[in-house]
Amino acid sequence: MPKVSVESLKVGMKLSKPIVNDTGMVLLGAGTELTQSAIERLSAMNIAAVHVEGPSSPLMSREKLLSDLDARFRKTENEPHMSDLKRLIKEHIEELFK
Amino acid sequence: MDIQNLRIQIERIDTLPTIPKVLRKLLKIIENPRASMTEISEFVSSDPVLTSRVLKVVNSPVYGFPGRISSVSQALILLGLNVVRGMLLGVSVFEVMEKAMNGLWRHSLGCAVAARVIAKKKGIKEPEEVSIAALLHDIGKVALSLKFPEDYKIIIDNTDKQSLFIFESEKNFFSVNHSDAGSWIAQRWNFPRNLIEAIEYHHKPHLSKTVPLNAAIVHFSDVLVRGLGFGFAGDHFVPPVNPASFQLIGLSDGDLKDVITELEDLLEDGDPLSPEE
Repeated sequence: MPKVSVESLKVGMKLSKPIVNDTGMVLLGAGTELTQSAIERLSAMNIAAVHVEGPSSPLMSREKLLSDLDARFRKTENEPHMSDLKRLIKEHIEELFK
Repeated sequence: MDIQNLRIQIERIDTLPTIPKVLRKLLKIIENPRASMTEISEFVSSDPVLTSRVLKVVNSPVYGFPGRISSVSQALILLGLNVVRGMLLGVSVFEVMEKAMNGLWRHSLGCAVAARVIAKKKGIKEPEEVSIAALLHDIGKVALSLKFPEDYKIIIDNTDKQSLFIFESEKNFFSVNHSDAGSWIAQRWNFPRNLIEAIEYHHKPHLSKTVPLNAAIVHFSDVLVRGLGFGFAGDHFVPPVNPASFQLIGLSDGDLKDVITELEDLLEDGDPLSPEE
């Protein structure tokens, strides 16, 4: 479920999570199909981004995520359990690109 | 500076002019272990900014009551006094935290969510308590950088240039690190024993006598959140997990995968206190 900025919302997209105001009141429920007026209302309310249905696409490339991961584990990957932890996170990153 | 003197300086942090007024007032209330629910609730309700922050956080995935808590007194009943005291401190140090270290709030928030997910998986009775300990585990970094802003800049710079962990660099400079400073300040503020130990031992969880499992979870959440590259805690490397604590938590590969997936899903919801949310 990607998070999309209000500027790039399109009519017909469906909310995957409800939009809730400061006091916890639900303004638009999950599953609501966005109309032009709903999008205008959202931008008037200073809401930056909302969750919509559909596959999520990671913000960074697979190569960048994996090379950052290598860099972070550089000092400790030979310590007990650390290579396992790194492998699990690597698998998780790869799942994102399937 | 000798350690005793350093400790006194850190303990007097609430007198610093850089501490926001609301935080100073809050500390007075939090320090008092006999402060009643009504007193705390009235104090929070008298400050609209604080009220809105508290409600945003309790209704966010950090706590698992999304969209269900509409008043401060309800939060107190659902979460209990100790959790709310910790959370109030967390949301009030938020700005100070971001000033101290850009990304530290995200790191802390990530740890709070991770700790709650793991605590629930382990069937711990009060997952919120573990989560609060994780939210506040790096409070010592905030204290050190507030009290010694210039020195702390040098520490961060050294960490970067010499490829150190932040706790190594702090120790080189002050001969103590942020977990010591965090423990001093938590004691000064009369935090519950469980919380003090989880803060004090988040790098040496096997030394915790009262709450070894809570300390282990906070420790591992820190490792995991850095492993995922979420937020910034002062250095660029994942610290090693303590093997005994890792075994104490006892998560299988499958459990860990579940934790990572749930954590990413919750963190994707964003930060309840970031200005654009």
